[in-house]
Amino acid sequence: MMPIGENLLGQFRGVYLARAKDEEILKRKVASGGAVTALLCYALDKGLVDGVVTSKRVKGFEGKAVVARNKEELLEAAGNSWSIVPFAARIKAKIEEEDLKEVAIVCLPCQAQFFGQMRDFPILETDFGNRIKYIISLFCMGTFAFEAFLNYLRVRYGVRAENIKNIRLGREFLEVHHNGTVLAIPLKEAFSYLQTGCLVCTDYTGLWSDVSAGFVESEPGWTVLITRNARGEELVKGAEKEGYIELRDGSHVLGDILKRAREKVARAQRNMAQLF
Amino acid sequence: MLMEKLKVLHVDFAGCEGCNVSIIRAYPKLMNEIELDISYLRDGPPKYDEYDVALITGGACMNEPRILEELREIREKAKVIVAFGSCASLGGILRFARGGQEPRPDHRNFQPINSVIPVDYSIPGCPPTPQMLQSFFKFFMAGNESRLRLFKVTAGLKKLSGFDLIDDIVLTGLCIGCGACELSCPTGAIRLVEKRPTIIQERCIRCGTCYIRCPRASQLICLGGEKP
Ligand SMILES: Cc1cc2nc3c(=O)[nH]c(=O)nc-3n(C[C@H](O)[C@H](O)[C@H](O)COP(=O)(O)OP(=O)(O)OC[C@H]3O[C@@H](n4cnc5c(N)ncnc54)[C@H](O)[C@@H]3O)c2cc1C
Ligand code: SF4
Ligand code: SF4
Ligand code: SF4
Repeated sequence: MMPIGENLLGQFRGVYLARAKDEEILKRKVASGGAVTALLCYALDKGLVDGVVTSKRVKGFEGKAVVARNKEELLEAAGNSWSIVPFAARIKAKIEEEDLKEVAIVCLPCQAQFFGQMRDFPILETDFGNRIKYIISLFCMGTFAFEAFLNYLRVRYGVRAENIKNIRLGREFLEVHHNGTVLAIPLKEAFSYLQTGCLVCTDYTGLWSDVSAGFVESEPGWTVLITRNARGEELVKGAEKEGYIELRDGSHVLGDILKRAREKVARAQRNMAQLF
Repeated sequence: MLMEKLKVLHVDFAGCEGCNVSIIRAYPKLMNEIELDISYLRDGPPKYDEYDVALITGGACMNEPRILEELREIREKAKVIVAFGSCASLGGILRFARGGQEPRPDHRNFQPINSVIPVDYSIPGCPPTPQMLQSFFKFFMAGNESRLRLFKVTAGLKKLSGFDLIDDIVLTGLCIGCGACELSCPTGAIRLVEKRPTIIQERCIRCGTCYIRCPRASQLICLGGEKP
């Protein structure tokens, strides 16, 4: 086992709290402070990228990979999809179909690892890492084995996938918004429907990203941003300078993030001991 | 400041030349940092008695004592051994050799280099691109061990293929359905069916690319340093 601690959060430049300035973004069902959407708007508006590959929630927990080329398309994708979006397989086709040269990808830590490794280490002639300009990883405690979880929601609570309007992650509950009401499921209960692979995953923030994004309970309405290299740092600072996001120092929330990251590693160790 | 160039020796054993071509293609952009001693660019034996890095391509034929001997000599000469390509690092397509095949029916068994000598980094790929080698040297010369960890860990493994991916990740229920393996297979041996990979057996050339590109598998081997 690797010494715990050394690799919990990976290398980083800065930790910030950010919030979209654009009212239109904040009005949407953004996941936390809408900063991710705002960063992407900035990158598209200023021509830093020619497309953004992200995920749009289609039904229940499921998302599908979409390419956004402008603010409106980005706004349609704001918020979370609670399943793994099989990006890898479809994204290449998307990038080639639309002939994108420089893209930003929003993804989960596992996918950030794949794209990051591909960008740093292009083993295959068919790799497209050179077209990936920004990798933005969301923090992640796991994705649902959603057929199982939806079945559970239907049997236990009578909630149907097609009626789910939004899903939000809180400190202790997963909120399922449906038919105008909110069902708060204790996390412990919800987390028993995570994918088995997620239960042994040790990466909370996305070590292979340029920018990682998540939230902490103590700063509601804000997105936590971790920048990992010059490229990520410039993106965040540029977005602030151009008035896309409000930005403040986030070093005081580092402890909270570390706590979650440690929980995830501990969970992985427990489960690995059981599985192998 | 003028830095001394890294002395790099290339030695090829049984293989298809694909990896060698990759190295040659990578060299123009590496010339400022490394001095490559490669058989194509010289007549006669290697130039120096000692090297900083030896790049080895191709697998070791266990039925050729001369090759095993030569490998041991290279280990003595070079501070760092890099197995470049699937044959050298994991056996790759050479694993299909079983003797009785022309032109060398006596060659019955091929192994990755690390079956004969300790290897420091293994870079699978059939063949890996020139850019891969350039990246490797970039991180290597920067001393960035955390980025190179996957290759360091792979140097301790002898076999990785689509079959291992299915056994270790899919059949254990650890697959998250991301599709990275499908995208990374150079022969199209993997297809995602119902969000999980299946393997078309006869297409798998044992290159190991899918395994080290699977985020679940690569995270696990990097954590534990060995296969689950
Ligand atoms: C499955 C999952 C688990 C998460 N777990 C945690 C956690 O434990 N702790 C934590 O702090 N944060 C977690 N997050 C991240 C958090 O919910 C917010 O996404 C993050 O704070 C960014 O908020 P935002 O308002 O700036 O994002 P927004 O402005 O709403 O933008 C979010 C962007 O992410 C994209 N996106 C959403 N879901 C996916 C997906 N599955 N795959 C790829 N792209 C996607 C959207 O399309 C959108 O572009 C999780 C997110 C997901 C999807
Ligand atoms: S927990 Fe890990 S494997 Fe699961 S979706 Fe999140 S980053 Fe991916
Ligand atoms: S399945 Fe494909 S990528 Fe994996 S080892 Fe076989 S040939 Fe290589
Ligand atoms: S890359 Fe790994 S986790 Fe992703 S689909 Fe393939 S086996 Fe599953």
